[in-house]
Amino acid sequence: MLAVQDVHKSFGDFKAVNGATLQVEKGRIVAVIGPNGAGKTTLFNLICGQLSPDKGRIIFDGQDITALPPHKVCRRGVARSFQIANIFPRLTVFKNVQVSVLSQHQKSGVLFKPADQLLIDETEKILDRVGLLDKAQVIAGSLSHGDLRILEIAIALGGSPRLLVLDEPTAGMSPDETKRTMGLVKDLSQKEGLTILFCEHDMDIVFNVAHSIMVMHHGRTLIQSSPEEVRKNKEVQEAYLGAEDA
Amino acid sequence: MDGAQGITLAAVGSHFFVGLSRAMILFIVTSGLSFVLGILRVPNIAHGSLYMIGAFCAYTFNKLFGGGTMGFLAALLLAPLVVALVSLIAERALFCRLYEREHLMLLLFTFALMLILDDLVKMIWGADYRSVMAPEFLRGSVNLFGSSFPRYNLFLLVVGPLVAVALWLFTNKTKMGKIARAAAVDREMVGAVGINVSWVFAFAFVLGCYLAGLGGALVAPTISITLGMDHDIVIEAFLIVTIGGLGNMAGAMVGSLIFGITQSFGVLFWPQFAIVFPYLAVVIILIIRPTGLLKSVW
Amino acid sequence: MKKIEFKITLILIALLSLIPLVLPRFYIYITATIFVTALLAMSLNLVVGHGGLYQFHHGVFYGVGAYVTALLILKAGMPFWAAFILAPIASTVTGFLIGWFCVRLSKLYYGMLQISLGSLIWAIAFRWYSLTGGDDGLHGVTIPDLISSTRNAYYFTFIVLLASLWILYAILRSPFGTTLQALRDNPERCEAIGINVRRHQLAAVVIATFFAGVAGALFVVIEQSVFPDLLFWVLSLEVFIMCLLGGWFTFAGPILGAAIMVSLRTFVGTYTEYWTLVLGIILILLIFFLPEGVMGFFLERLGKPRSRQNGNDKAGASVGSR
Repeated sequence: MLAVQDVHKSFGDFKAVNGATLQVEKGRIVAVIGPNGAGKTTLFNLICGQLSPDKGRIIFDGQDITALPPHKVCRRGVARSFQIANIFPRLTVFKNVQVSVLSQHQKSGVLFKPADQLLIDETEKILDRVGLLDKAQVIAGSLSHGDLRILEIAIALGGSPRLLVLDEPTAGMSPDETKRTMGLVKDLSQKEGLTILFCEHDMDIVFNVAHSIMVMHHGRTLIQSSPEEVRKNKEVQEAYLGAEDA
Repeated sequence: MDGAQGITLAAVGSHFFVGLSRAMILFIVTSGLSFVLGILRVPNIAHGSLYMIGAFCAYTFNKLFGGGTMGFLAALLLAPLVVALVSLIAERALFCRLYEREHLMLLLFTFALMLILDDLVKMIWGADYRSVMAPEFLRGSVNLFGSSFPRYNLFLLVVGPLVAVALWLFTNKTKMGKIARAAAVDREMVGAVGINVSWVFAFAFVLGCYLAGLGGALVAPTISITLGMDHDIVIEAFLIVTIGGLGNMAGAMVGSLIFGITQSFGVLFWPQFAIVFPYLAVVIILIIRPTGLLKSVW
Repeated sequence: MKKIEFKITLILIALLSLIPLVLPRFYIYITATIFVTALLAMSLNLVVGHGGLYQFHHGVFYGVGAYVTALLILKAGMPFWAAFILAPIASTVTGFLIGWFCVRLSKLYYGMLQISLGSLIWAIAFRWYSLTGGDDGLHGVTIPDLISSTRNAYYFTFIVLLASLWILYAILRSPFGTTLQALRDNPERCEAIGINVRRHQLAAVVIATFFAGVAGALFVVIEQSVFPDLLFWVLSLEVFIMCLLGGWFTFAGPILGAAIMVSLRTFVGTYTEYWTLVLGIILILLIFFLPEGVMGFFLERLGKPRSRQNGNDKAGASVGSR
């Protein structure tokens, strides 16, 4: 479904992504792991169009999406969440998601129809799905950290994506919240058949959830394989041990 | 296109030099604005008012010291210091309490400051026109490349680069300057090293305002000093900063040269629409290079 | 609109319709000036308070509306009504052109570019004596008898204001408006959910400049003259401040802001020539004590639920500044 082919991106002299390759099969959960500064977030920004690569191609559904602007990538069916809570703080939780749903239905430009009569069910369904329905009328900026991260995912879901890209969905969460979030991710994959690409620090989570794991180190892809293969791989062990020394 | 007939090489030359000396005043004022913008990230709308206060103070000091060379030098030294003092009071009493607040509030504050300062100037100096005489040794003209050129403008051509060099030395060679530059790029880092960022900001603000005052004191002998002279300069300074690259000192110089020279050539070629030319130059530059000719500091 | 808000609105409209019957001419004129200024401030707030754009030179579109009205009547000999319709269109076209260049940039750069483009228009109007009258402006614009008396001009501006407000209100509640507010909060995120940020911003600018043009045409109705200060940046900043003063995250805040500013200018101006000093001091007090504006402050006092309705909460204050 998604193929990243030997992508490079530098910022000045710093090579943030230096030959990353990634395959995401339809319906799978794929994780990207790697030490801090391995280029995971940059890779996600390249896939979703926030950045454009210096070299290499990104193919989604057989079409080249390399260097498309973010809103066009989103239109193709790729939705993402961000590492820091990236929401609309002055709007209600409901509206946060509704904006995304409206955009997906190409209704963002509708001028003379009250928004509170449009796509209510669709929005509520998503809120219900992630468990935020009871907080629908709360101002998003006042949510707890865990709820904010869930809202992140809900906004992404508003775009009815075929590929969901999650950048460290559990960063800064308590163990309970982490469990809830990963349960949701698993659910979305199993029950709704969503393809999911995520990156994560917590190895337990990754090996528990992912069907396939891609390991990045210094901006390069070391390996992409099944969790068992990755666990056994020598290079990976060295990369992680080496990183811990530093 | 009246006036277009009589264009001689000498006229082109003299307009070029007039534009150049105008650019020096613009540079001095703009560099102050740019400095504040680069470090505090606030477009100081009161900058023009401080320039105007500089000019009025120059008038007062000149009179107080009996005019002539003595009066001129006293004005040049003291007027910018008064402006710096005014800005220091405003900064420490009120402005510094807003650094943590939303950015627009800082902008609003400088607008409020402008309103207050303008009326204070009206109270102190009234609405009359004032003028300052240049000292004896800077009066009259000299002959340059076959065209006569006012001595005072020549003086400006010396002062402008001097200020530029002094600013460059300050930001690149002194500790305070380096800290200020670092604060422009990364506030948190500077704070983390244990430097009081608030005082760095105060210093930058006061220095920027001092430059506005210096510009006002320097321009005083060449114009009639009056209320409302702040409105034009502040917008011109903003535009120069924008085309030069926000916070970039070299950019302020380049922008001032473009602005000053297009303005004086405008006077030569099409006097009626002279003020349109620099604006047009700015618009063209911004359409081609929206973030300015040189690199912005942020 | 909630029931109580609806009632308050109706009472206000009724009271304002009575003003010309009871108050002396001067007050009718001042209230009409407030209407025009309020419409200008409301149009600006669409892009500032709800759209998050640094629209620093909105006055230009107001001035263009006023100048085009006056020029079409005086120089082209057009009937007033044709000019009244063409003027906002001219503003909208100007808004589109300036906006098209500006939305490529963000925040301060947006504002700076707009000031420079706007100043170009000001400089031309200021200097083109043969067409615009230069710094004298244009005077004696003939207005149809129907709306030329102070009282009728009042009712005319009032009706146009109400119609415009109704449209602006509908726009803000529409998906377009909701998306615009999301854009204000977080443009980066909007891109990631498939919104064409620049196009949306440009559309908002075009709508706002249309209403600024309407306000400009109304200005000619009550003043019968135009002058270059309408295009000058100081006016633009004053309008900007009206939005912040009244409460820029509320719907009606800018109206209140405009009323306060115009009243201050008029009534403080009769006591002292230093009215801008008073304004400056009030502004500083406001910055320190009522950062959400007067309206924002009262809505907060009246209880959370309503401020939530308007998507207005302190929680987002720090994030909004990014």
